Amino acid sequence: MTSTLFKTAARLIVPLTLIFAAYIAMRGHNSPGGGFIGGLMASVGLILYRMAHGRAALLRLLPFHPRVLVALGLAIAYVTALVPLALGQPLLTSLVIDGLYIGLGQTIHFASAVFFDIGVLLVVVGVTVGMIQRLSEEVDSQHIKESGCPTTAASSTGGNPR
Amino acid sequence: MSMALAGFLQLAVVAPPAGGLLLAIIAPVLAGLATLLLPRAAVTARVVLAGAGPALAFVLVLWHLGAHGVAGHTPPPESHHASITHVADTSGTDDLASQVIESSLSHASDAGRLAAPPQGTAVIEWVPDLDLNLAFLADGLGGFFALLVAGIGVLIVLYARGYFGGATEQARADLFRFYPTLGFFASAMLGVVLADYTLLTLVFWELTSISSFLLIGWNRYDKAALKLAKQAFFTTGLGGMFLLGGIGLLGYHTGHWRWSELLQHANDLDWSGGTLKAAFLLMFVGAASKSAQWPLHYWLPGAMAAPTPVSAYLHSATMVKAGVFLVGRMLPLFVLPGEGVGVDIWPGLITWIGAITMLYGGVTAVNQHDLKRIFAYTTVSQLGLLMAMYGLAGFDFDHAGHVVAAAIDLDITQIANHAFYKAPLFITAGAIGHYLSRSLPDLHGAFYKFPAICATMLLAGYALAAGPGTVSFQAKELFLYAIYHAANGRPWLWVILAMTIATAACNVAIFVRLLTTLLGLPGSMGKADHDSAHDDDHGHGEDGHDHHHAPEPGLGGALIWLPAVPLVALQYIGGLAPGVWDRLFGRFERFGYYFDHGVPSLLYAITHPGVPLYASGVAIVLGVVLGLSKLLRGQHIDPHDAIYPGVEAASVGLGRGLFAVLQNGSLRVYLTVVLIALMTCLSAAAWHDPGMIAPIGAEAARAFELPLGVIVGLLIVITALLLPVFSSRIVRVLMLGSCGFTVVAMYVVYQAPDLALTQLMVEIIGVLLFVLVLRLLPEPPQGERALPVGKLWRAGLGLVVGLAFGWITLVCAHAQPEALLGEWFSQYSYHGPAMIDAAGEKTGYERGGGGKNVVNVILVDFRGFDTLGEISVLGLAALGVWSMLPGRRRELCGEPPAQANASSSDPSTAEATLS
Repeated sequence: MTSTLFKTAARLIVPLTLIFAAYIAMRGHNSPGGGFIGGLMASVGLILYRMAHGRAALLRLLPFHPRVLVALGLAIAYVTALVPLALGQPLLTSLVIDGLYIGLGQTIHFASAVFFDIGVLLVVVGVTVGMIQRLSEEVDSQHIKESGCPTTAASSTGGNPR
Repeated sequence: MSMALAGFLQLAVVAPPAGGLLLAIIAPVLAGLATLLLPRAAVTARVVLAGAGPALAFVLVLWHLGAHGVAGHTPPPESHHASITHVADTSGTDDLASQVIESSLSHASDAGRLAAPPQGTAVIEWVPDLDLNLAFLADGLGGFFALLVAGIGVLIVLYARGYFGGATEQARADLFRFYPTLGFFASAMLGVVLADYTLLTLVFWELTSISSFLLIGWNRYDKAALKLAKQAFFTTGLGGMFLLGGIGLLGYHTGHWRWSELLQHANDLDWSGGTLKAAFLLMFVGAASKSAQWPLHYWLPGAMAAPTPVSAYLHSATMVKAGVFLVGRMLPLFVLPGEGVGVDIWPGLITWIGAITMLYGGVTAVNQHDLKRIFAYTTVSQLGLLMAMYGLAGFDFDHAGHVVAAAIDLDITQIANHAFYKAPLFITAGAIGHYLSRSLPDLHGAFYKFPAICATMLLAGYALAAGPGTVSFQAKELFLYAIYHAANGRPWLWVILAMTIATAACNVAIFVRLLTTLLGLPGSMGKADHDSAHDDDHGHGEDGHDHHHAPEPGLGGALIWLPAVPLVALQYIGGLAPGVWDRLFGRFERFGYYFDHGVPSLLYAITHPGVPLYASGVAIVLGVVLGLSKLLRGQHIDPHDAIYPGVEAASVGLGRGLFAVLQNGSLRVYLTVVLIALMTCLSAAAWHDPGMIAPIGAEAARAFELPLGVIVGLLIVITALLLPVFSSRIVRVLMLGSCGFTVVAMYVVYQAPDLALTQLMVEIIGVLLFVLVLRLLPEPPQGERALPVGKLWRAGLGLVVGLAFGWITLVCAHAQPEALLGEWFSQYSYHGPAMIDAAGEKTGYERGGGGKNVVNVILVDFRGFDTLGEISVLGLAALGVWSMLPGRRRELCGEPPAQANASSSDPSTAEATLS
């Protein structure tokens, strides 16, 4: 799993995956896609990166605990859900603006549900990356314990089926 | 808190009749909580403030009764008792004792004082949907009980000051904690007796159980006390459940949820069928558990683990009478409404239960040494008598050619009588136990050391023995009269008369032993040369109160017995001047069928000899003999004390057994149970509705329309069927994954790009998670690796469940198209319904989802609330992983390997949590 080919490919693929995930998430309201899928896609990209370059590399890329993402995502989602209540609307009412002017003569179709979608995305990324990261750390440490060879174990980070 | 108080004061002004009583109910607990704000050293201020609560309640109830009259006391115009309804007129000139006796019999046959049932007060809405609102009923019974609770509450607040002391740090801490709890109880009890809504009664009823639990387990470090507190709580709490059932049945059957309405419409209720009888039985079980009726009486002597102020207040004078109160409340409803209605099992059931309790309590009481236990069992006995009194009310009898409706007179006098001697007995028992000992054999000649305390105790004990000159004597006469009348034509009631005589003799014997022991006379329980009382074991194990043996000087010390005095005085006032007694309590009396002119005087009792008087005489003679004899001088251990521990051990054992079966930790077993239950439900549904089977053929045929779909489907099926064949876990997970990836192909074939995309991602992450978790699990035991033939049924079950799910999918797809939500979703995903103005022109659209991707609009808009919940759950699950596998993040980050090795226990923890 630590072949040079794989590492190099991962370097190319991961940014593309992340961009594509963002694209999928943003277009989700009108075309196939959405926050959930976007989140899953970003997670898969990040996990791929971890498999190729090890957990230290992922820690450099995401220099904070994934629970920050979860908290942030939940906060955004709940704020989006609760703001309509303050305005006298039912919970989660979406504000839809047809043709919102964004400058340079361009307009977009805007629905405030997009914020909710972003919240979902962040939660999904935080949860999946966090869980897999945590579990593979556990596997790594078990490996260290069993092999008694810390240096090789620390560098071999992928799933090595027994 | 002051704001809350202001709010309630406002309530009291807005809704005077209900608000005044509400304020009375909450006054004790508010005052108790207010004492928490005082510094601990301010003992006097604390006592005054705590006492102000019940005192305010007392005044408010009095004011209410004065302003609105005793509810339910609107006798018919020809009645001779019009005078007693004018409660406000306390200076009135009506002299009940002087009323002529002949009026009584002429009225005895009608329902007399119950002609006009009580009206409840105004309502403050609480939970109208449940018929649970704040409305209060201060009729004779409720009003009297409220005054009793509040009045004795004030005395107990004072007594607690004397009992706990005030000088030491410990005493101050005790008082600090005691008064709020006591206030809580007083409020709950006032609520029970004043509530008009049946469910409101129940709410307060349970609150008294809770506060009683807190007070019995006062000593938090005494395991025995905590056990006894639990015993009392579960016994009375279980009774509360019965009461809830009874009240619910009564309410749903009659449609009335207020006592006042029930009493008013008692004649119109549907008495046919057994519903009301069942309701009565359930409510009686509740009342019997609270009032310590045999065989549920065991909790009351156990409750003596509480400090003596609590025993004197809750477990003799007030809370244990809640059951008696409830039976008294139900009496006009279930027994006295009129001809041909009511519950026929009332008299037999209640009289016998009460009589057995009475005799058992009496005999056990004689056979005890600890003063508190003696008085606890006499309390049980007296509660039995009160129950039997209400039971006898179900009998009518012939008297001089008239039919008298019920054999009950002056129930309030009976209740008051007991409270007025039992509370002083407990108060003085606590006092003497504080200074000397509570064990009777240690108290030889104690009178000469503590004359005031012992004199008070002996005066109260004389009332316990129902000696002539106390109101207790007349009360016992009233009870004997009731039996005597009811036994006319019912010979088996003579047995109850004999039981009463035996009980009364036991009470006399207790008094005789108290007298001889305290005065150091021959025949006493103690040793003649008993000077070393201090060195003996005082039996203070029961309330765990730290005794300091030197009497505290001044008023503070005297408060340990002084509060008993007014109550004892009332006993002798009642005995020697029944006119004054009637002036005080006559207005609360509800029943006067034979003695409707008030409590008969001692002179009347002596000048009208008859069976009751002879019975009293026999009881006194027998009692003196028993008291002086050597009989029953041991310490009887009540066999019923084993009931609760036995039941508790059995239920805990059963629980453990069930837990071992149901929660055995094997995921396979859980899954099997869930799936079998699901299959059973589905089979039942299909059995019930054949329409669930019919569409399978047509729908299945449609599934074969697209050849590509069939091929992919076959692939899925084959992969799934191969799963059980492989034994390696990793291979199985990969097979499962490939199954999932084939489903992605299925979605592509049927043109659902969203789903395909999602499924793909979920499948990747799912397989990853599976592999990681499986690597952390221990290797399966050798036997489980290969597929054992005997466990093939699991594969069979999986097959059946899978087929069933396919079938349910087909059934769902077959549902009526117009009922499909999908139509609605895709219609309103972008726009809402078109808005059409008056001219018929389309002006625009109402709000819709604002998105063209229906799936996503469902996720974030139509079903957004679901999604919100789901992501919250996701976050929680991740939190679970992070907390159950505590971080090794830093440790792996270039730390020396020795540390990684050091935490070698972690993987096993992970195994435990994951497996």
